[in-house]
Amino acid sequence: MATTPILIVHPDRKTQRLVHRILGVTGYRVELADNFAQATGLLDSLRPRLVITDAAMSLDPAYATFFEQARAHGADACMTLLGTPAPVPQIVGAGAVTNLLVHPMPVLAEELTITAHKLMLGDLFGVEKYLLWGTRLHETTLERASQRMAIVAELEAELGRRGQSARVARMVRLVADELISNAVHNAPVDDAGVHYLADRARDAELTLAGRQRVRVRWGCDARYVAVEVNDDFGSLDRDTALASLGKQAIREGGGGAGLGVAIAYRSCDHLVFNLAPGRRTEVIALVDVRYPPSEQPPASSYNVFVEKT
Amino acid sequence: MTVTPGNGELVLSGSIDESSELDKLLGRAHDNALVLDLAAVTFINSLGVRDWIRMLASAAQRGISVELRRVSEPVIHQLNMIVATRAHTRSFYGPYACDGCGREESMLIDVDVNGPALARLQPPPMTCPECGSAMAFNDFPERYFSFLVPQAP
Repeated sequence: MATTPILIVHPDRKTQRLVHRILGVTGYRVELADNFAQATGLLDSLRPRLVITDAAMSLDPAYATFFEQARAHGADACMTLLGTPAPVPQIVGAGAVTNLLVHPMPVLAEELTITAHKLMLGDLFGVEKYLLWGTRLHETTLERASQRMAIVAELEAELGRRGQSARVARMVRLVADELISNAVHNAPVDDAGVHYLADRARDAELTLAGRQRVRVRWGCDARYVAVEVNDDFGSLDRDTALASLGKQAIREGGGGAGLGVAIAYRSCDHLVFNLAPGRRTEVIALVDVRYPPSEQPPASSYNVFVEKT
Repeated sequence: MTVTPGNGELVLSGSIDESSELDKLLGRAHDNALVLDLAAVTFINSLGVRDWIRMLASAAQRGISVELRRVSEPVIHQLNMIVATRAHTRSFYGPYACDGCGREESMLIDVDVNGPALARLQPPPMTCPECGSAMAFNDFPERYFSFLVPQAP
C-alpha cells in the first residue's frame, strides 16, 4: 500500500466512506477529516499528495485558506467534487483547485480513480487513460497551420458517419479547433519566452517545422469522444491554464487571450491539461456521448496536472 | 463562409472563422438595418466570435440595427456563452428529441409567436417529422434560452 496518503475532507460520513472505498480498494492510503479545521491539523503529519473535498464546502470561509495551506504542504493537486450546483468560476478563480470533477451521481468513480492514479503514479500523459481498452486511436500531425480547418471538419463528418448526434459532432469539432489553434499559434516560444506566433494572422499560412508540429489524436468509446492535442514547447503553465478556464470575460465581453480555451472548456464535459514545463503540453477534451444535454450536469470537469521534475 | 442575398436579408452559410470578414456585411445594410439568416451557419469558433463582436460594435457605432433570423444551434451556443455576441433574434433553432423513435432534430422556434412561453422557459411543443410522436426539448431551457433574456422587444 502506498504510504503517501489521500486526505478526504467532508462532513458527511457516508460520502467519506464511499470515496474511501473507491480509492482505498486500489491500494491507496486514505485518511479522513470532517472539516477544514481538522484537516489543517493533519497536514503536517500526513503530507497528503491529494486532498479531496466537495464544491459545496467552497462556501465555508476556511476553504481558500485550507487549500493554500494544503498546497504549501505538497498537496498541489487538490480536488473538488461537485455534487450540487456550485460557483465554478469562483472555484477556478481561487487558483488552488487544480482538479474539479463534476458528476450527476454521488461520485464519478472512474474519473476519480484516474485522477488519483495519475497523481500518485506521476504518469500524466495519454488519452488512453480515459478510454476503454481496445479503443482505436486516430493520429494526425499538422505540418501546416491551414490543415486545422480540414482536420476538424473531417472529424465532425467522421463522427456523423459513425452515428454520433450532430450536437456531439459539432462540439467535438469546436473543441478540437480551439485546442489545435492554441497549439499552433500560442504554444511556440523563443529562447526569451516570447510567444512569437501569437499575433500572427490566423488565416495566414504557416509551415510547422520541428517542435512547431502539432500532434492530434482522437478516439471514441461508448462513453466519450476524446480529443488529445500535443505540442513540444510546454509553455503553458498551471496558473495560465486555470485563469483561462475561469475567464469571466467570456460571459461579459468576450475577446482577449484565452477565449479559445474558455470556449473549449464550456463546450466539452471534461478538459484535462497535462503540463511538462518547457517540454510538452497535452490537452485532452472529453465529450460525453452517453447522456443528452438535458441530463448532463450544468458545469464541466477539469484537471490541471503538472509533471514533477 | 458564403453570403447570398435573400428576401430582404443576407443568408450566411458555412463556417464563421478567421476568414469571414464580417465587417463587410455592414456595407450591405439597407435603411440602417442588417438582417442576417443564420440557418446554414454550421460552425463558429473563437476567431469568428471576435470578428462577430467587432461587427456588432461597428454596427452600433454606425447606427445600423442587426437582426438575426433562423439562428442555427452552433451560433446559439456562442450567443449563450458570450453576452457581447447577442443581437435581436426573431427566430432560432432548438434541439429536440423524439420520445417515440429517438430521432434528434433541430426545430425552428419563432420568438414573436412563442415569446410569452419562452419567457417562462417553456419550449414550444414539436412533433417528430419521422414518426409523429411528441418531441421533448433536448437541453436545459434555462441554459438554451439564456441568450433571449436581455433582448429588447
